[in-house]
Amino acid sequence: MHEPILELTGLRKSFGALVATDDVSLTLRPGEIHALIGPNGAGKSTLIRQITGEIRPDQGSIRFEGQVIDGLDAAARARLGLARSFQVSSVIPDFTVLQNVMLAVAGASGNAFGLLRPALSDHRLTEPAAFHIEQAGLSGRAGVKAAELAHGERRKLEIAMALALRPRAFLLDEPMAGMGLEGGRQLTAILSDLRTEAPILLVEHDMDAVFALADRISVLVYGRIIATGTVDEIRANPEVRRSYLGEAA
Amino acid sequence: MRRDMTINLVIFGLLVATAIGAHLMGEGFTVTLATKAAIFGLAGVGLNLALGYGGLVSFGHAAFFGIGGYVTGIFASHAASGQPILTLPFTLAGSNEMLGIWPMAMVAAGLAALVIGALSLRTTGVYFIMVTLAFAQMLFYFAISWPRYGGEDGLSFYVRNTFPGLNTFDPIQYFAICATLLGLALLFTAVVTQSRFGLALQAARQNSQRTVAVGIRPYGIRLTAFVLSGMIVGLAGALYADLNRFVSPAMLSWHMSGEIMVFVILGGVGRLCGPVAGAAIFILLEHLLGGVSDYWQALLGLLLLAIVLFAPGGLIGIVTGSRRHA
Amino acid sequence: MLLLAEQALNGLQYGMMLFLMAAGLTLVFGVMGLINLAHGSLYMIGAFACAAVAAATGSFWLGMAASLAAAAAAGAVVEMAVIRRLYARDHLDQVLATFALILFFSEGTRWVFGSFPLYLTLPSALSGAVTLPGGLQYPVFRLVIIAVGAAVALGLWLLITRTRLGIRIRAGEADREMIGALGVDIARLYTIVFALGAALAGLAGALVGSIQSVQVGMGEPVLILAFVVIVIGGIGSVKGALVGALLVGMTDTLGKALLPGLLATVMDPSSANTIGSALASMMIYILMAVILIARPQGLYGARA
Repeated sequence: MHEPILELTGLRKSFGALVATDDVSLTLRPGEIHALIGPNGAGKSTLIRQITGEIRPDQGSIRFEGQVIDGLDAAARARLGLARSFQVSSVIPDFTVLQNVMLAVAGASGNAFGLLRPALSDHRLTEPAAFHIEQAGLSGRAGVKAAELAHGERRKLEIAMALALRPRAFLLDEPMAGMGLEGGRQLTAILSDLRTEAPILLVEHDMDAVFALADRISVLVYGRIIATGTVDEIRANPEVRRSYLGEAA
Repeated sequence: MRRDMTINLVIFGLLVATAIGAHLMGEGFTVTLATKAAIFGLAGVGLNLALGYGGLVSFGHAAFFGIGGYVTGIFASHAASGQPILTLPFTLAGSNEMLGIWPMAMVAAGLAALVIGALSLRTTGVYFIMVTLAFAQMLFYFAISWPRYGGEDGLSFYVRNTFPGLNTFDPIQYFAICATLLGLALLFTAVVTQSRFGLALQAARQNSQRTVAVGIRPYGIRLTAFVLSGMIVGLAGALYADLNRFVSPAMLSWHMSGEIMVFVILGGVGRLCGPVAGAAIFILLEHLLGGVSDYWQALLGLLLLAIVLFAPGGLIGIVTGSRRHA
Repeated sequence: MLLLAEQALNGLQYGMMLFLMAAGLTLVFGVMGLINLAHGSLYMIGAFACAAVAAATGSFWLGMAASLAAAAAAGAVVEMAVIRRLYARDHLDQVLATFALILFFSEGTRWVFGSFPLYLTLPSALSGAVTLPGGLQYPVFRLVIIAVGAAVALGLWLLITRTRLGIRIRAGEADREMIGALGVDIARLYTIVFALGAALAGLAGALVGSIQSVQVGMGEPVLILAFVVIVIGGIGSVKGALVGALLVGMTDTLGKALLPGLLATVMDPSSANTIGSALASMMIYILMAVILIARPQGLYGARA
């Protein structure tokens, strides 16, 4: 068994009386897709935000590629290769697709302070950006403003931006949300390819996608992980059936 | 894109043509008005870097304008009196060389912007507006209550500072200096906003969370923009002091901050030449409305209100029909 | 000691006056999310209304009533004509439009009343001084301002915690769509809140105009101090406005009274006076900077 890429130990976060994350421990191993499922309000997004560094846990620790990253802010974690997508597509609306991905390339390079050289003629930005745009299936759309993209294309743009971070792990927060049937099928294929780049921690409501993609599943209910296992183990787990799948089905 | 560039050239060209035309017709006063427009335009270009491109609604840029002005006034008055400005920790003599004064004015304004920006950028939104306003106000009251350089009455110096090879007293020659610096500032803004840094700055304005998620900290980017912006406005303040051969706390007042902001908005936020058009129109209105009524600011207020309510893209927005240019 | 007590009372009076201004600003921001630079104009309108009516009728009390009525009316009209178009806009548009309103009101007032300051005559019951316990002679009217400020603070607290309007105000702060869904007429609620804030500003203007003078531009320095107050207290919090106002009032008054004297113990009197007064004029901004470093959202602010 390989060392896990991402390892959460005993994470706890409460907002006043509400315990949003209760002693959560979880690993993400090389090459896997680990799905995080649970009913609305189970604390999935809060957990993701603790991993990205947007909010600080009250207790517990996060290791990323063997390094404790508790003291790093969100930007530093992103530069280490912790790439995320947002529940609601989040891009720079007035930028073109190319500029959006160039921004991510600049961020990953750790140098966003070049003042004088025009970014659009800087090959160190444009070439990787063009590559990742193609990789995410957006060829030919580089010059389009992000605000004018269709919903599915915006999802792909987010993936291109994540790829530009030279990711060591992906955190994808409900990538299927709002996708049609066909778009969902396409995206499932893209996610399946992504795993060859880096392992994915996938928060998702779409059970078909989860069961099709995930190597392991963790079930989060009221801030606690009630079960972790393979697809079959989770399907068979009586507690999961009772508290989650039973309701969802 | 091309259309914007054409508009930029037309605006700058009109300003220069006005000054040259007025000069040829012997209208020295109009040349001075054009010079004022160029200087205010420069201040607006500086603010636009923070406000338009960075989304940092600073209501305190008069601080940098005034600092630039006071540095000029202080150097010039010491050059006249022959007394050094400082003897400790090092001797700093007065000067009446523009080329020596400008860097001092920009450095002083930049340092102030670094301190004010570092504190203010801890806040966002409406707090940022109020905090920048408050810091500028602090300098305003300091200037009023510090009698060494004139206090409330301001500081006059009788000879305009000098520039090698030019007669700075000749209105058209002083205009040429101001317009050249304005042109350089426009060029600088055009280059910077197209750079990596410009990309990050505009990204942070539009979507700060996303910018962080690709590994860029908005704070440092914004602080850099704020400091550059303050330095350009400081340079404008230095030119304005030399134009009037007088500095006073009014240059630091919140009306000044508001006016610099008006230049930017009147022309169109986040557009390269917007502030130049805005400043020129402001000066024109001041001149025209001032002839109609002594209470021309009331009319200006109504006009400004109409623009904010009904033409939020500013005047260039009316021409191009779009709200802002990223 | 008497001097210190007197300055402390001055600071309290100043703080209470700032609270009257800041309360309206912070309510308007908390409920409507609007930054209103023209709040200082409402202060000025209150002062001019008081001076004009008092001069015409000879009654100070009618003048006071007029200040409340005129400022509230001006507030309501401005809200309906201009401000309500700005709620959905960004802060930049709000700043600019309300800056334009200041230009309009200041020049308009100058046009009607001229540039010379007006003075109010206090009724005999409120003029003169009383002897406080300890032997301090203190002007009655300044004590009145303290009392009015305290009464307004109490009244606002009762209004917000105990009345239907207060419930709606709090609901509006929490969730604008929710309160609309509950069937509350938002447009009317906003006009009422704005007019209430305007009336308090007008009252502050009339009170200060009574001890100083009434002139164009009088509202602007006070407005900026009110901003400092609500930045310190936390935008949207009335309690924060009260605490911030008292902090700013005390710091400013005591700083100006005591700093030159304190510095004189370590340097020669003339430079102590210069440096002391320059430093004193910056004290409240230094206070604000320190609080921002510790708590960027202000003392009682929830949002940053």
